[in-house]
Amino acid sequence: MPEVKPSGLSLYKREAYKGYTLFAPLGGREVYLVDMAGQLVHIWKMPVELGSYGELLPNGNLLYAAKTSNAPLGDFDGAGGSILELGRDSNLVWKYEDQYLHHAFSRLPNGNTLVLRWIKTPEEMAQKVKGGLPNTEKDGVMWGDAIQEINPAGKVVWEWKAYEHLNPEVDIICSICFRNQWSEANSLSVTYDDNILISFTRTSQIALISKETGKIDWRFGEWPELVHPHNACLLANGNLLIFEAGVHIIGYEAGRARILEIDRSTGEAVWWYDEPSAVDFIAPTKGNCQRLPNGNILICEGDYGRIFEVNRNKEIVWEYINPYYHEYQKYGRNNTLSHAYRYGPDYEGLKS
Amino acid sequence: MRILRERCRVTVYERGKAFEGYTLIDPFTSNDVWLIDMEGNYVHRWMMPASPRNHGVIVPSGNLLYAMAQRRQEDSPDLPRQWGLSAGLLEVDWDGDLLWKYVDIRQHHSFFRMRNGNTLYCRAMRVPDEIARRVKGGIPGSEDRGMIFADGVNEVTPDGEVVWEWEAYEHLDPEVSEICPLCPRDDWTHLNSCFELPDGNILLSFRNISTVCIVDKSSGSIKWQWGPGEIAHQHDATMLDNGNILLYDNGGHRLNGSRMCYSRVVEVNPSTNKIEWEYKANPPQSFYSGVISGCQRLPNGNTLVCEGTKGRVFEVTMDGEMVWEYTSPFFAPHPIAAGIEYTMHVQVPHLRFTNMLFRAYRYQPDYPGFKGKELDPGKLAWVNRLYGPEAFK
Repeated sequence: MPEVKPSGLSLYKREAYKGYTLFAPLGGREVYLVDMAGQLVHIWKMPVELGSYGELLPNGNLLYAAKTSNAPLGDFDGAGGSILELGRDSNLVWKYEDQYLHHAFSRLPNGNTLVLRWIKTPEEMAQKVKGGLPNTEKDGVMWGDAIQEINPAGKVVWEWKAYEHLNPEVDIICSICFRNQWSEANSLSVTYDDNILISFTRTSQIALISKETGKIDWRFGEWPELVHPHNACLLANGNLLIFEAGVHIIGYEAGRARILEIDRSTGEAVWWYDEPSAVDFIAPTKGNCQRLPNGNILICEGDYGRIFEVNRNKEIVWEYINPYYHEYQKYGRNNTLSHAYRYGPDYEGLKS
Repeated sequence: MRILRERCRVTVYERGKAFEGYTLIDPFTSNDVWLIDMEGNYVHRWMMPASPRNHGVIVPSGNLLYAMAQRRQEDSPDLPRQWGLSAGLLEVDWDGDLLWKYVDIRQHHSFFRMRNGNTLYCRAMRVPDEIARRVKGGIPGSEDRGMIFADGVNEVTPDGEVVWEWEAYEHLDPEVSEICPLCPRDDWTHLNSCFELPDGNILLSFRNISTVCIVDKSSGSIKWQWGPGEIAHQHDATMLDNGNILLYDNGGHRLNGSRMCYSRVVEVNPSTNKIEWEYKANPPQSFYSGVISGCQRLPNGNTLVCEGTKGRVFEVTMDGEMVWEYTSPFFAPHPIAAGIEYTMHVQVPHLRFTNMLFRAYRYQPDYPGFKGKELDPGKLAWVNRLYGPEAFK
């Protein structure tokens, strides 16, 4: 009796937000766009190995984070090395290289690109940082995060260094994570008022950074109310949507992931999603969530290659399991994804 | 990843490679204990007075020895609040008639029927304050009303006489056996299995310190201990015929710098502390249960694995090939979660709907306990119509 694993489309209800879903299997060389029936409508071929994920730009190009073989921190999760923009036919349109790039990026309306990179935390600061397993720095170094804004010519036009703004008393490393990184940022986005929303997974903090002053204007993440976020996005109503990975949860070793909608004025969850059998939804190392125009939420449970959509009543209305398996680093034969995105049929980037 | 309803049956069965027999399961969510055959037919059912806390075994006489759950009890000054204690050990015959009952309000998790007919069981004990203060690790300030609990083991005769007692706090070193940094300090050790070795000594598995120990039966001292840094919140340690120790390494709070969650089954040699065999899935995250779970080495060398929170029982060969797989279809609200109003707070068990199993055991067709017993799918025809091998075809 052969083993049957679910793959491809496994659920599609009429309440789903109709559009096209973009995902990039880790370890593979292709990025896929599928329709609601799970049929492939477009494939991009990647000239450089995937680092984390790709996004469809309004100009119809694909922007993705690649992993270059010379990345000095290549053994860190989310290691990158370059960001590539590919045309519809996978032709290279733009490329930016920096061996310390990791996890996330965001194309700005002005055509510049925000990138995340690792920098060393100054030693005197690193010593003050609390938490983490003792003596687990990487060759004595605690790596930290920086954000840079890159113009199309590849010039750095703005920079923000986390260690200048994080507080070693507040930004505490999870007690069983290593001290080889302080904050491990893993998502980055620009708000409608041009500020920056960032999630730090190792310290379990979400921060809203003023682009003008560099100051953290608002933050969320009172441990253990939030543990290891994957991404955060700002909604039109001003609330935040946060994907909590579901590992290292206090009092529940089995783990359980959640999507939380947080009212920024109170810091309270006004809505959340998890699954009735908690073990059905857990994303230890990878994933993202996206609010769709009809109010539904697209969730990528990355480590299991599962992309699904839930409505406000917490019902699953669409589900697709990545059928493409690849050898992926130390994790073996996988259908792992970092992120998935849904684009409506009227999305500009789909028109060309 | 969602458990698909149509997969809740036998999904892999490699004849000739799998170890033939009957598999015992006791879903947390019901009072029923089931025996299933290799095809996934339900061939025997015990209807017990309460759901398991946490499991049963078939003893060689064919009786079922079973620890049952009770409702959350009243606060007591020196009993732990945090986790469920058992309402008693029951031994019932093939037809479910009660033959023996033993109640100790401190009994929890597991038990072991010894060769001399006595029964070993785990019990929760308050740690004296002067030792509790010295216990390292855990989340600061998370004691239970200021108290720390640990475990003891009792040996009880069929007449209910306690003939051997052992206290973990008298033998573990609070400076060495640190509580996991992400676990509360109300529970130093969290004993979850006890096993009598061929030489009469006792093998114990302590979850919160990720440690397995061999206790010298005559002196009570710990002869051997292993685990911290190697395994995370393990369950179900047994000794094999070759003298190695088999255990289920759950993996929820690994201290290896990765947040990836995966379980392993590990065979460790206690004389060298080397891992001589392990089973991990490919990819590793496709086999994971952070709590409960167990493993059993079968006479043909295969290993039966219970991936507890997924309600999945599977059998692998020494080469890691899966030759039998079954998932329990018995989904229901967990008895603990069912009594608690569901809120967003993390402390509440997130088990509103589950098919979880603590352990599973395989018994060969010529197991003495089956002699003269009827193992017939026909007597449970309606169950098999709903859940048996034909149900999802």
